[in-house]
Amino acid sequence: MNHFTFSWGTNYIAVRGLLRTLGHDLATPPRIGPAIAERGIACAHPFLCFSGKLVLGQLAAQLEDGERRLAFMSSLGPEACRCADTSDYLRTLFSNHEGFSAHRLGGGSLTGALANLRSHFGPQIRKRQCFKAYAVFYGKVDLLYKVDKRCTRLRCLSSAPKQVRELEREALERIDRAPGPLALWRVSRWFDRVAARLPLREEPPSLRIGIVGGEHILSELDSVMAVIKTAAERGVLLDWRSGFRMLARSTEKALAPLKATCRDYLHEAPSTSEIFSCAHALDFVSEGYDGLLHIYAFGCMPQTALKPVLQRIASDAEMPLLSLAIGDRFAEEGLEGRLEAFIDLLDTRKNEGDPQCTNLPGLESMSDRSRARFSSSTRARRSLPRRTGERAAASSTRSRKASARWLRPSEAATSSAARRPEAHGGSSVHWSAPMW
Amino acid sequence: MVGTGSSRPRIGVPRSILHYEFDGAIERFLRRLGMDVVLSPPTNHGIFQAGKRVVIDELCFPIKIFVGHVAHLAEQDVDRIVVPTVVGHTNNHVFPCHPRSRLADIVRALGVCDTEQLLAPAFRFDRDGLTADGFRELARTLGFTDAEADRALPERRVKLDRALEARQAGDGLTLALIGHPYVVDDPWANNQVIRRLERLGCRVVTNLETTPIGYAPEGTGLHFALAARTVTLARTFDREPEVDGIVFLLPFNCGPDGDIARHLTQITEKPMLTLVLDELQSSAGMITRLEAFIDLLSCSSIPVGGRAA
Repeated sequence: MNHFTFSWGTNYIAVRGLLRTLGHDLATPPRIGPAIAERGIACAHPFLCFSGKLVLGQLAAQLEDGERRLAFMSSLGPEACRCADTSDYLRTLFSNHEGFSAHRLGGGSLTGALANLRSHFGPQIRKRQCFKAYAVFYGKVDLLYKVDKRCTRLRCLSSAPKQVRELEREALERIDRAPGPLALWRVSRWFDRVAARLPLREEPPSLRIGIVGGEHILSELDSVMAVIKTAAERGVLLDWRSGFRMLARSTEKALAPLKATCRDYLHEAPSTSEIFSCAHALDFVSEGYDGLLHIYAFGCMPQTALKPVLQRIASDAEMPLLSLAIGDRFAEEGLEGRLEAFIDLLDTRKNEGDPQCTNLPGLESMSDRSRARFSSSTRARRSLPRRTGERAAASSTRSRKASARWLRPSEAATSSAARRPEAHGGSSVHWSAPMW
Repeated sequence: MVGTGSSRPRIGVPRSILHYEFDGAIERFLRRLGMDVVLSPPTNHGIFQAGKRVVIDELCFPIKIFVGHVAHLAEQDVDRIVVPTVVGHTNNHVFPCHPRSRLADIVRALGVCDTEQLLAPAFRFDRDGLTADGFRELARTLGFTDAEADRALPERRVKLDRALEARQAGDGLTLALIGHPYVVDDPWANNQVIRRLERLGCRVVTNLETTPIGYAPEGTGLHFALAARTVTLARTFDREPEVDGIVFLLPFNCGPDGDIARHLTQITEKPMLTLVLDELQSSAGMITRLEAFIDLLSCSSIPVGGRAA
């Protein structure tokens, strides 16, 4: 029996894996684009967040194509936002489509997940089937995240971005086709082998930007994040540590260290999106990233509530912050323009000794003392001799080795033991825990 | 009064959001503890402007008002300001919206008052209102024991002391007002809508004048507590034969109520007017819309409220 759903980037591949394990299938959601956005805007209340409008746009398009059985993933826990109460809401919204039904998957625990599957597919679903279906789901979620992160990293570090895009496309197809955990493990090994063979650029990343924001935006591939990722091909190392995977895997145990990290800025409250973003922003600050990028859908309640907190973090750390609210009037050109301006600002701040850069907008909040400190450090950098001849060649070799080192976090993901942090360019490099 | 504190610190309580939502429970509790409580004045333009100046544009209208109240208190001679954190329902099925659960974090991040001034106890709620844990935490912060806090606990019940039948009879239309308590009960936030409707000859009923629904009722399937409450209120008033129409007050950029705005019109049979409240609201525009709604109800040939208009 065919179902349909909305997509948070590639999460539908994981949902499809779950359904296929149970003998069902899932239609591929339409790609996010202006037509889908317009459709969503037309059928949603103006106060609904932009991500919600995209979701509704995708659902409306599929309903018009004749799909009727909606299956969506939500634990209905505190991390759930509006998507948690979509059942009744969607039934009302799409009541004019005869035969429409909405079914929630997930459940926060194996018992809850089993109850949801049984209410949808019938009491014949056994605990073992449920366990296997969710093993496939979580396996695909993890692998999709790994592929997305590593390919974004490779776009910055590899000299063959076209091959990276091909690799990503093929990896997604293989993950979608993989029927079980063993097949997924094989896909993971294949991906690691091919990724390790890609040629690397000679230069290390010019900048490092930490990205925080709404999980549904960070997981997205076709529109907003596609534009953001173009920065990687210009030599900027982009890093984000949240996304659909974090929500799917969030437990109290996993959240505890993150809550501890952001204790100075956030009180205990039953939400996860703010905790992810705040904790990751603080991590990026402590790891010496060059700037913070906050991306969220206009109207997103968790991220809007967090925005003043992030501004405070950036102000305290004297780190440039760009907040991008993606709304109904979102245009890729505008996004590109703002992103380019931000990268230029960071580049100037990092590389040039021009005293004028202390007057740049991102530095207005600096105290006099830190302004002086910043100016003296840029003066010191300016006095360094330029690289020429043999010295430049030696430096180039070192840079190439440095480029390779940036890939190690992902390589670490394939080994059983996580590697230790190392210094690079005066700041520590984050080494992710094994993802697979 | 059970307080034993000798210096009687002055505690500021913002007359906004949670004050209205929990019917002044925190203020009453502090007074019973013997604190010198400074309640901020009713919302006015100056208070709102003080909040608007510092709050980011995208946050909802009531948050701007709330921050304005905190900013007002920060300028007074108070030792501490209570900005509670509401962390959720005891049933773990309904939750406060994110900005309300992050009030203390927003106030601290914006630097509206000194961080040392902030008192941010974490409250949970159940069907009848706030539970005792948050009050005990607040009392402990002020140097009281749990036993003293328990003796000072306010009654945990949403005030429901007036019945619909007890209203004064009249010839005008009866309109039910639904929305968040901090919008319905704050005359400045709702642009004096009750007074304006009464001037137009209507009788206005709110949640205080109907069958008790409790706080954050269950059974709506909704995620956000106040949205669940609003839906339950709408259903209740929809069944009430005395009520001719429903006016839904929707603060600008309120996510939970924005989600249910269209849902409400489909689950109720009675005519409904949705008024979006924001900082740019004009009296003229609101009066025109209210008049049009009343004219519509008066001229309608469709029987409303169980009787032909």
